[in-house]
Amino acid sequence: MHDMDANTLIRLFSNPEDALKLSLKEWQLVVLALRHQQLLARYAIRFKDFQVFESLHNYVKHHLINAEIVAEKQTLQVLFEARQLSKQLTKYNAQFIFLKGAGYSLSGHPVGAGRTYSDIDVLTAKEHIENIEKDLTLHGWLPEKMTDYDQKYYRTWAHEIPPMKHAERGTVLDIHHNIVPPVSNRAPDSSVFFNNVELSESGHWTFTKEAMTLHSLVHLFFNEDFKYGFRDLLDLHILMTTNADNTYWSKLVAMAKTSGFTGELYLACRYTQKILNTPVPIEVYRELKPYRSWTMPVLDYIFLRLLSPNHPFFALPGYKLAAFLGFIRGHKLKMPFHILFFHTITKGGKLILEALFGSSLFAKNEITRPK
Amino acid sequence: MKSVPVTIDLSPFSFLVNTNIPLVVDNLFRIYPDSIVSHGESIKNSKVCSYTVSAISSSGVRKIVKPQARFLCDQKEPFKPLAINQGYALLEWGMNWTVAAMEMQHVITHSAVLARENKAILFPAPPGSGKSTLTAYLVYKNWRLLSDEMALIQPHSNTVYPFVRPICLKNRSIEIAKKWFAADRFSSIAPNTHKGDVIHLSPPDPSWSEHKSPAKICGIVFPKYKAGSELKIYKLTMAEGFMEFASNAFNYGVIGATGFKTISNILEDAPVFEVEYSDLEEVKEFLEEDIIANA
Repeated sequence: MHDMDANTLIRLFSNPEDALKLSLKEWQLVVLALRHQQLLARYAIRFKDFQVFESLHNYVKHHLINAEIVAEKQTLQVLFEARQLSKQLTKYNAQFIFLKGAGYSLSGHPVGAGRTYSDIDVLTAKEHIENIEKDLTLHGWLPEKMTDYDQKYYRTWAHEIPPMKHAERGTVLDIHHNIVPPVSNRAPDSSVFFNNVELSESGHWTFTKEAMTLHSLVHLFFNEDFKYGFRDLLDLHILMTTNADNTYWSKLVAMAKTSGFTGELYLACRYTQKILNTPVPIEVYRELKPYRSWTMPVLDYIFLRLLSPNHPFFALPGYKLAAFLGFIRGHKLKMPFHILFFHTITKGGKLILEALFGSSLFAKNEITRPK
Repeated sequence: MKSVPVTIDLSPFSFLVNTNIPLVVDNLFRIYPDSIVSHGESIKNSKVCSYTVSAISSSGVRKIVKPQARFLCDQKEPFKPLAINQGYALLEWGMNWTVAAMEMQHVITHSAVLARENKAILFPAPPGSGKSTLTAYLVYKNWRLLSDEMALIQPHSNTVYPFVRPICLKNRSIEIAKKWFAADRFSSIAPNTHKGDVIHLSPPDPSWSEHKSPAKICGIVFPKYKAGSELKIYKLTMAEGFMEFASNAFNYGVIGATGFKTISNILEDAPVFEVEYSDLEEVKEFLEEDIIANA
């Protein structure tokens, strides 16, 4: 068996023909890594697009097909949920924009094909949120259990209300009123995003491709958890390479300037280009260069690792340190120092206890037990 | 103990189990036949398996104070850890979870599957219905075990594939089954789990040697043990049978239309019964004379 690392998985996406060169033993690990990153279905589609799928070993096809079935089901499910929500909430006359995974699916853009996600994210104007939240509880959407501290965190500092879960279907809904937490002082005037929406074929609001790209990259570079970093980078790659003409790029840069996310756009261009060889127009780079951070060497250390495939068998050397630095950076971006200080004491104390006594120390009793 | 890989070459899904718990290794080699279970060298140098899972002891203070066993499906931990002496049961449940959560190319229902002459009966039932005791009794009486836990049904057919694994017995049924089988067919007891005391029983050799032979679904029986009860048999209509049976399907929600069509087709031919009983032999006679003989 050859030595494999993150680059094996990256090359497998760029050159799907490489799939035919992997041994069965190598595939066993590749399947684990792709499942870990929720990428099995996306790779299945990629292999089909390049006509290598049928030549793959049955072992591989079996796992890929399982993932495709789940992804197809999710596409149907999100359409169903979107219809239900629209029906229940028409009376508020609120615009409901589907974000991230759900938005990708509903938009019909290739970025949604085989993309799986664990919850449905929507954006709506803040003034409607209180009514919508009450209304949803009448329709079976219940707030998930959480500590008082977490409840306060959401209500005071976050850009979303606590997640709601449908009692029968188990679907989780995150309702946002901005795209980044207001407490970060970076929240843009949300009209920038509300003005860049379009109706999907199924009649639901999603962002335009430019706004979708910008939101996707802002979300990625404001995060502190990069478990799905490589998948998110692939989202950007697909958005930036599907019919991405000059108009797309100039709109994207303009939107980044209006909303103050030029630094994040620079990072997105830099890492898609460095990791996935995404063709970013040279003029775009030139225009974004002034927004480079002076900490670029540190950011490179962090993101070249966190945005590459991260399964333990494949992660690049230094991944753990990068994950730690990324975690700190994400928190620092989201909260001013005095709030971060209390947040760290509250959450950090719990983490230390969990490290000592096991990760389920604080778990409520009713969480899953084996059947 | 250092973590070692053990491969369980089951059909249709095989497992690579990493474990550092001696009790888990002992039980695996006691329960699974030598043709199925083997030691690997490392993850990178062992047989290619469908799924990679771990049963490992918790780290930190938990190594010393109230040691715990954790189950992981690759990097994912679907359950809370259990006490270390429940580690083997946790692994078996984790393997069930893995298949139920990942496999979408069979219609998978939560039921025991037993066969005579490749004619299979499905026993979907909630815990406490006596399903596993009945399963143990039937294999003791030379029925073939396809599964104690899940029916893997080939979509758009009435073919059920075996997934032969040990039978999971609880509490009082442990003593009963010990009268029927030799002591070396049982795992160690996992005491005080959320299901009570639990033991795993390796089915007799014929079930293992036919662990790749499918069978035809000829009936569906919902068993209901009731102490002192005479044998009572209720035949369910197709609609009643469908609702009861579909609610037992693990992946019905995901595979939707395929599951619906498959289950409806099966119910066109296979009768559905609810059976209340206290005497196992009476149930067996009913199954053999009224279902198998007519199939």
